This record gives sequence, structure tokens and C-alpha cells, in this order.
Amino acid sequence: MPAGHGLRSRTRDLFARGFRKKGTIHLSTYLRTYHVGDYVDVKVNGAVHKGMPHKFYHGRTGQVWNVTKRAIGVEMNKQVGNRIIKKRIHVRIEHVMPSRCNEELKQRIKTNDQLKAEAKAKGVVISTKRQPLGPKPGFMVEGTTLETVTPIPYDVVNDLKGGY
Amino acid sequence: KNNRSRRSRHHLRVLVYEPLQKSLPLNSLGLLHHQESHMAFVKAQKSRSYFKRFQVKFKRRRQGKTDYRARIRLINQDKNKYNTPKYRYVVRFSNKDIVAQIVSATIAGDMVLASAYAHELPNYGLKVGLTNYAAAYCTGLLLARRVLKKLEMDEEYQGNVEATGEDYSVEPAESRRPFRALLDVGLLRTTTGNRVFGALKGALDGGLDIPHSEKRFAGFDKDGKQLDAEVHRKYIYGGHVAAYMRTLMEDEPEKYQTHFSDYIKAGVEPDNIEDLYKKVHAAIRADPTPKKSEKQPPKEHKRYNLKKLTYDERKQKLIERLNALNAAAGGDDDDEDSDDE
Repeated sequence: MPAGHGLRSRTRDLFARGFRKKGTIHLSTYLRTYHVGDYVDVKVNGAVHKGMPHKFYHGRTGQVWNVTKRAIGVEMNKQVGNRIIKKRIHVRIEHVMPSRCNEELKQRIKTNDQLKAEAKAKGVVISTKRQPLGPKPGFMVEGTTLETVTPIPYDVVNDLKGGY
Repeated sequence: KNNRSRRSRHHLRVLVYEPLQKSLPLNSLGLLHHQESHMAFVKAQKSRSYFKRFQVKFKRRRQGKTDYRARIRLINQDKNKYNTPKYRYVVRFSNKDIVAQIVSATIAGDMVLASAYAHELPNYGLKVGLTNYAAAYCTGLLLARRVLKKLEMDEEYQGNVEATGEDYSVEPAESRRPFRALLDVGLLRTTTGNRVFGALKGALDGGLDIPHSEKRFAGFDKDGKQLDAEVHRKYIYGGHVAAYMRTLMEDEPEKYQTHFSDYIKAGVEPDNIEDLYKKVHAAIRADPTPKKSEKQPPKEHKRYNLKKLTYDERKQKLIERLNALNAAAGGDDDDEDSDDE
């Protein structure tokens, strides 16, 4: 009899809890708040059976478009055939973590705003653009000695020790 | 004499075995430790692999103090209410004290909005019986008045000034809605007449909005399914204690002397218990603010063990050691800055 393609098929390991991470879910999962527009990672918690997303969305990141009592609406991309569709799903909070994908961006925005404010106060023109890493600068190699290595000519008499 | 082992098997997680062990089922788990050729007695061991695989429960669960299943349900706030705090009315009993707190949960930890302890009741005139039903009522009342005063709602929500034992719920006033909290009993068995419901009644009469049912108040009749307000009122004013005092005075006067010695010393008699509690209630309503006690700074003690060094101190020590080493070795090449790596 064939294996079947049910909703949770092939999720034996995917939805499994981690090694030594079974049991009670820690409370910060329930204490976090999510606002519309936040980036959020979907990571299924196999211990909570309600509000589970489909296995496709496990590991995806999307933005929050709706907040309800116990769940979050997340919008993410899915490739269907030859195009990518934006899909909207509702997921319970236990299966969702705040994403750090734009953490660096938010930090950079904060520091850039600060730098720009300071520069404006001083009247200096600055550029806050990131620059890509250029080629490494040249340097002199110090403290070296030259050792010339040459091949030695093949000596038939001495090298054929094992007989021929 | 050869001390051959006896054949004995105990089926524990930790097991017992004999020298030749093909049949032991737990062999594969690696719970078998080193095999000895002959053992004098039964050896139970938890191997290294047992400990490597062992998952500890949460700390507070290990300590047996927190019921996480209940805690999750008490703390969970609707996500579309974002950061609105959800307050729990925490009541805990120790052998000699009662703790009543209003707590809200954050990821950093629980934040206590206000707290009241039974050991504060001597300030309001109650010196004895600090863990009985009546004292729990007083503590709950004290906490409620304290919270309302802190939030400047105490004028609006007077609550039930005259404790009658009847079921009383706060009516919403005009400007602000009443302060809502959820009762958190912890690990108590919620039987009818438990002191925790005395504390609940105190908070309700104090003016807090706590969803409840009268089913567990002292004096609830299981068969008639009704709360006998008279009985409940008796408990609130320590009537049950007074009744016991009276029976002991009649039947066993020596036991009365020993059991209620503190009461006798404080001059509390079965007839004036009710008035005593009435005075305490009035004093609580008059001034619920907590009194700051003057504490001496703790005495300096001699230190018997080494103080733990900070990261910078440890790094500095390392640099000094390396410098000393290099200086002793003659200090061939590098400058001492390279020791900072």
C-alpha cells in the first residue's frame, strides 16, 4: 500500500523537538509581541498541534500582516510552477520566532540617523553609504631568506635499490 | 572464599547485573558499567551516557515551585492586546506567613506591582494568628487597598466595606474600569474553605475585579449548592478560631493554655476576636501604604575564600605572568606587547 501524501507526511524528523529540548515550552514564546510588518521566522513546534503551518512553510521568513488573539498572520513567497506567489497563512505563536534578518539594517538605520544628526549640527557633509571591501593594501615581506630548490639529477645506480 | 555474586535483578532505570550478561535488555543503552568478574554485592550505576542524554526539567519545576501548565495559561495575553499587562493575584502560604502580590510577567522576569504580607498585620493591630483564614482575608484586603491607592482608584472603588460573607463583585464606576487580576493559587489543592479563598475574598471586598465563583468559599454547602453567608462571615471574623477556643476552655483548659498561649498573652479572647478583626479592617482601609523599615547595613564578614576575578583582572594577571616569564628567560626577541595576545 503506497505511503500517502497527507498534510503532515514526511515530517517525522522535521516536526520533531530537538535533542533535550522536549517538554514544556519556555514562557518567552508566549510573552513576545508582534506588530504588522515585523519579519518573522516560521519554525514548527511539534508539541503544539493547533495552528501548525504546512511543512512547506517550515524555515520560511515572512512579514506579519495580521495579529489575532493567539495567532499571527504571516505573508511569504512560494514558488508555484513558473511564478512566485505571495501566500498568507495564519500560524499560532508557538510556531513563530522574531526574525533577525533585518536586525543589522535596523541598527544601521539608528547609527546613520545619529551620525547624520551630528554632522548636520556641525555642518559637515558625510556619506553613510556602506563601501564594499576593496583589494588588500600592498606590504613588504620582511625577514625572509631565499632558499633555491632545484631537482637533483636522476641517479640510476643508487636509486634502483630494490632490483629491476 | 569466593564471593560469587548472587543472581538478583532489580528493574530500575539504574540496573543490576551479573558477570555474564547476554540477556539483560538494558545492555544496549549503555547503562552497564564496567564488567567485573565477580562482585560481592549488587551495583547500581548510572553511566556517562545516561547523564549525557538526561534532560533536566525547568529549574522551578525541579524545585517543585511552579506549575508551568497553569502558568502558561495565566500569563498568555491576547496578541492583539500587544503590551497590555495581564495581572495575576498571587497568593502563597508558608508555615508562618502569607504572601499576596499583584504580578505581571515580562521576558526579563515577573514584575510585582504591589505586595502585602501577613507579617505586616501587626502594624494594623493583629498580633496573633497570622496564617488563619481571617488573616488571609486581611492580607488580601490590604493588598487590594494598596494597589488601588497606588493607581489612585481607591476613592472610586471602595469595595465591600462591611464584610458580610456574601458573594460581592465590584461594579464598574463611571470613569475607570475596575482593576482586573486573575487568581494564581500555585500548587495548592483548591478545596472548599481553603485560606487562599479567604485571601481572594479579602481582595474582592477591597475592590479588585477577580473572576471567581462562590463555590470554594468557606461555608459553601455542597449538597444545597449555596453559599451560607453567615458561616463565611464567621470565618472572616475568626469565628471558627473563637469556637475552638471556647471548646478547649471548657474541655481541656491545659491544652488551651499551651495551644493559645500567644493569644492569651496578647489578650485575645473568644468574645473579642470579632471586634479585633473589625478594627484591623478599619485600620487597613484607613492607611494601606507600606511602611519602610529601617535596616542596618549588613555587617562586614571576614572572607574565607578567594574573590572571583573579573575578566580584565584575569587578563592583566596573564600579561604580568608572561612578562615575568620572558624576563626570567632572558627576553630574547619580541617586545612585551606581543604577550597581550
